Amino acid sequence: MSAKDTPILITKNLQKTFFMKKGKDDVRAVKGVSLEVQKGQIFGFLGPNGAGKTTTLQMLTTVLAPTSGQATVVGFDLLKDPKKIRQHIGYVSQAGGADGMTDALQNLILQARLYGASKSEAEKRAKELIEQFEISEFATRKVISYSGGQRRRLDLALGVAHKPQLIFLDEPTTGLDPQSRAHFWDEIRKIRDDGVTIFLTTHYLDEADNLCDYLAIIDNGTVVAEGTPKHLKDQIGGESIVIGIENSKDLEKGKELLVKEKFVNKIYTNENKLYVYVKEGEKLLADVLRLMDNKKVSFQTIGLSKPSLDDVFLQKTGRSLREGGES
Amino acid sequence: MPLWIILGMMQPILYLLLYMPLLKNIGGTSVLPVGQIVQIFVPGMLVIMGVSCLFAGFSFIPEIRTGFITRLLVAPISRYSLLLGYILEQCCSLLLQAIVLLVISLLLGLKAGVLGVALSLILIILIGTTMTALSYVISITTRNEDGLASMVNTLYLPIMLLSGIMLPISLAPDWLKTAAHFNPFYYAVEAARALFAGNFSEAIVWQGFLVMIAAAAFAVYLAAKSLRKMSA
Repeated sequence: MSAKDTPILITKNLQKTFFMKKGKDDVRAVKGVSLEVQKGQIFGFLGPNGAGKTTTLQMLTTVLAPTSGQATVVGFDLLKDPKKIRQHIGYVSQAGGADGMTDALQNLILQARLYGASKSEAEKRAKELIEQFEISEFATRKVISYSGGQRRRLDLALGVAHKPQLIFLDEPTTGLDPQSRAHFWDEIRKIRDDGVTIFLTTHYLDEADNLCDYLAIIDNGTVVAEGTPKHLKDQIGGESIVIGIENSKDLEKGKELLVKEKFVNKIYTNENKLYVYVKEGEKLLADVLRLMDNKKVSFQTIGLSKPSLDDVFLQKTGRSLREGGES
Repeated sequence: MPLWIILGMMQPILYLLLYMPLLKNIGGTSVLPVGQIVQIFVPGMLVIMGVSCLFAGFSFIPEIRTGFITRLLVAPISRYSLLLGYILEQCCSLLLQAIVLLVISLLLGLKAGVLGVALSLILIILIGTTMTALSYVISITTRNEDGLASMVNTLYLPIMLLSGIMLPISLAPDWLKTAAHFNPFYYAVEAARALFAGNFSEAIVWQGFLVMIAAAAFAVYLAAKSLRKMSA
């Protein structure tokens, strides 16, 4: 298992700038991303829409050429050996990529054929995949008639059809209902347990937290934090007391009041909410209430929450992913 | 797909049936000798069919949108094989349409040698390749059907009018003749007419092939380049 030590994907200062015509500003979509992804893990790339996740993925899957920087994917140099990389990776784009005018079976056969399987091998592989991903019920129906969940199962099957070492999934559960999502997560875990490394992007906090083994948080084209979900949350230092204050004067007053207290580790305001990070929040909640009441700072809601990845994002960027990330 | 092929044939067939008879009554000049009208008109219609491959992008754009093209780009196949596969599909239906048109033309009195017609079909395939590739370049750049539609409309009419498809360019005033010489499809139309007439040694024949081979190669190169820069 010594091979486990070499990362399956390494990037060094990967950048992508889209050059625009004169008079328009160039778009620096990815401003320098350095990552290491270990074999056999579910690696999550968490960030809001427009952070540069898809662009990074398109560079790593050889679709787009980087403007600068280096990367090694499945042991091959991204700039020198894109063809060899393609042989060993799978990619499921946001749109999926199934041909809507034909059925799952034909899509899977074509996919296997694209990677060099003979006709009979491809048919055999397609049947295996249909079984594995429980597609048989709708395998001979046109793809355009599928539900969101059915379609995503086919997309995933297409992604692993050629038994890649590493599979990239771009926002794989966007638009899925909770049940389909849970089912999809199980499928992804199964693929990991078969020894495939998974690199997925998401803007869902719960997905990053529950599904991913390791995370890199990206915002505005750069990685702002990375680690296991637990490690990232532990950095926050204790729990957060979240106080909802609609009046902006009161919000400022509350912040000034609490920032002086010794028990407060960190304090932020974001969209009518005051985030107070403390240790042992249960004991301090009453103190905070008393302080606010004494100084006549009126507030509407108050709650205590365990540290979440949103707190991590808020600390690193000053914005909440929960409110800013949806679109 | 069969419906698409039939619709693609309608325009040239309508020209044959509803426009060509007009020529018979104005014929009789050295440019349009009475007995030669079908031989002069049909090669132009074949070229129109090839030029109509500009519409190929309308089925390509949805495939970009569904991510299907991206899936192909991530697979270990070269950009050129991907493109040539799509072009081959277009050219197959083009060839089928051309053969149907030729059969109808035979019924209307076409007289042409097999070799000349076969060589003309190769020329038409080159036109189809050029136009399909160009259509993909426009599709990849604009990413929407409306943009493609206005581009196709802008290109289609000048190509047709400046290539002497409806009437030979030799009837035109000098300035128009000069303009036509800048239109690669003028050479194709004239070459196809020479081939239909069996005049294989005319300079326009090799010129037509040369121009269309260069155009096809350039268009495919451009399309491969656009694919390479395409972010889905």
